[in-house]
Amino acid sequence: MNLAEIFLTLLRGATQTVIVTILCSLTGLSVGLGIAIARRLGLIWLEPLFVTFIYVFRGVPMLVLLFIAFFGLPSIGISVPGHVAMMGSLGLIAGAYLAEIFRGALAGVQHEEVEAALAAGFTRWQALISIEIPQMLRMAVPSMVNEFTTVLKYTPFAYTVGIPEIMKQATAAVSTTLQGVEIYAMAGVLYFVIYRLMLVCVRLADRHFTIPGLSSI
Amino acid sequence: MALLEVRNLSKTFGHHTVLDGVDFDLEAGQIKSVMGPSGCGKSTVLRCINRLVEPSAGTIVFDGKPVTAARSDLLAIRQRIGFVFQNYALYRHLTVIDNVTLALRKLRRLSPRAAADRAGAELRRLNIDELAAQYPAELSGGQRQRVAIARALAMDPAVLFFDEPTSALDPIMAREVGGIIDRLRRDNVTVLCVTHDFELARTISDSIVFLSGGRVRAEDSGDRLANDYGDPHIRDFFTKGRTSP
Repeated sequence: MNLAEIFLTLLRGATQTVIVTILCSLTGLSVGLGIAIARRLGLIWLEPLFVTFIYVFRGVPMLVLLFIAFFGLPSIGISVPGHVAMMGSLGLIAGAYLAEIFRGALAGVQHEEVEAALAAGFTRWQALISIEIPQMLRMAVPSMVNEFTTVLKYTPFAYTVGIPEIMKQATAAVSTTLQGVEIYAMAGVLYFVIYRLMLVCVRLADRHFTIPGLSSI
Repeated sequence: MALLEVRNLSKTFGHHTVLDGVDFDLEAGQIKSVMGPSGCGKSTVLRCINRLVEPSAGTIVFDGKPVTAARSDLLAIRQRIGFVFQNYALYRHLTVIDNVTLALRKLRRLSPRAAADRAGAELRRLNIDELAAQYPAELSGGQRQRVAIARALAMDPAVLFFDEPTSALDPIMAREVGGIIDRLRRDNVTVLCVTHDFELARTISDSIVFLSGGRVRAEDSGDRLANDYGDPHIRDFFTKGRTSP
């Protein structure tokens, strides 16, 4: 197995890395948005649940949560695929962080604008969707990118639950070729390239959505 | 029957009574101002009428429909009351044209083209059509004020509320606002204006409701209020300055 073949193997692993990153980021985005919206709508009775969720998922190491999901749940009769286990651990951790990021961004939305929408005849939900969420997302872009980058950097843990992502492919290649320095260096470069591509996409989106007077948090 | 009837309107925040039995009517086509010293509850009157703030007591009837009734169609009523806020409250993430079309598209369900046409007409009426693609942060205070007025007028409201329309403007721009409201009079727009700017109130209003201590002390023309009233609350306001509590 020469280095070119190994590189192609790692590229196939990169596809899985990207898939896991997207799945976990989308999970985090959905959970974070859900919590932020519920809080903004004043669903006070859910607050203890949110506080507990955020406290636990920000405090427990990701690998522990992943192992509970993948190796622990089968003992009570629930088996989940590796990708779902990643979403249930890394994705939910991202959700816990994003919920706090969104809370900060929502605080930057001026109350007067919401009041103006309500005075015009918008429902609370319409005001949230038309005024608050669009502003919140714009203000939260830099912090969201940080969080998605963290998700990317935690994807090598997917290796432990059998997902053939970059690190799993790299480790398999090293075990047969013993070219650890070259192969792991190639893996590092691939992660860096994915990271840079993410940043380019975000910068393009940010440029498109940047609005005078709306600063990021 | 008056377009707007306010009867015995009261509002308390905790132990603090802000409004204490306020009564007045507003006829269609009339321009009426609510004046009084700072903290007398002027802005609360406007917010109670469309129930942005829940009244503690009293009844409000708008165009024959009870606003304060438990089953009132509040959203429909609010769509017929244009509200121009003190700080304009423009949506910062939207351009001027989108600020004006948003409610038309979301509430009136107009197509984007029809909403843009409607909004364009209002922007032209206020001489700000060249600002359509600008964001609020790129506008001056006076321009923001006009956008806020255009946004309210685009919904073709039965009445337009102004909350302290000149408080954030320099004297020249404040006079311009007076001119705009005067032009609205010619278009037969009904206006209820809360202000502590006596010159504005005197110039634009058919009559002025004078509020002090949460109560209506008098309702009359500006000149008569300033000169002919013996009520100490009114006399103090005009002789000792207009921001005393």
